Amino acid sequence: MAGPGAHGEAAVHGAAAHAHHDPNIGTTGLDNRKVGMWIFLGSDCMFFGSLIGTYLSYKGKSLGGPTPAEVFNIPLTSYSAALLLFSSLTMVLALDALKANRIKASAWWLFATAMAGLHFVLNQVYEFAEFVLHYGLTLHTSLFGSSFFVLTGFHGAHVTGGVIWLLIWVGLAMRGKLDPRDYTKVEVAGLYWHFVDIVWIAIFTIIYLIP
Amino acid sequence: MAHDPHAAVAHPPDAPAPAHGGGHATVKTYVNVAVILVVITAIEVATLYVPGIPKALLVISLLLMSAAKFVLVVGFFMHLRYDHNIMRSLFIGPLILAICIIVALMALFSAFILLPR
Repeated sequence: MAGPGAHGEAAVHGAAAHAHHDPNIGTTGLDNRKVGMWIFLGSDCMFFGSLIGTYLSYKGKSLGGPTPAEVFNIPLTSYSAALLLFSSLTMVLALDALKANRIKASAWWLFATAMAGLHFVLNQVYEFAEFVLHYGLTLHTSLFGSSFFVLTGFHGAHVTGGVIWLLIWVGLAMRGKLDPRDYTKVEVAGLYWHFVDIVWIAIFTIIYLIP
Repeated sequence: MAHDPHAAVAHPPDAPAPAHGGGHATVKTYVNVAVILVVITAIEVATLYVPGIPKALLVISLLLMSAAKFVLVVGFFMHLRYDHNIMRSLFIGPLILAICIIVALMALFSAFILLPR
């Protein structure tokens, strides 16, 4: 049985260990915030998988209304795809700058990422308006209309959420509240941002390009 | 604001993942990947305008190019190439399930693109 001295020593070691323990690092040695985000992204894969599967299942089965070939504006959506790819690059450059303690550069790259995302959303608003006003395609027109608007609308909502998240980080940087210790938090936002990019990679090919 | 003390530890570029999963590529690698992504996207769009291309070949080539872009973004920009196996499993497992959902829904509705009806 250990004596009081041994207990005291254990208590000191325990306190020292506790002081160095980061509550964000779990028993696996991984950052809980990153693990949580990867779990969320995995579940979001299945969400978008269901919507893409539904779109493909309904493809060519509409009873009327405009067809995808009649309404899709491939040059515009290609430009939107390039915008999201560019924003993925600016996102990793923001992280790289943050890690190197170049806060101003990091804030600018985050701002560029958010603006590219905003531009993407505005392109989508223009596309939706064109479909509704020019072609009469709405959520209720046909199977194509409902499955297309639900799929791309949810993606657009994801992008909008990402833009807001990035602008919050830009705001914190402007108030001097961003530093390299926030790396993992910004990285988690970046994971989300890249995810909306890869979902668009899938949507762009499967929905817009495959005839 | 609570800060992450682990984040302040710098890791050498292209280094293996640290215990908490935070490896990364170099800026040069990021730019190269972005250029490759844009080139693949341009080829994808150009493929649409190739006259007389068989539909099956068009669909397969578009899906392969899309998959290549997907892997590049996830591997390099999302750092999964450098991350812990647990992170990879958390994403790749549900991704496989998502693909199964798409295939299952298409089978339910007899909607396979390449197979004759």
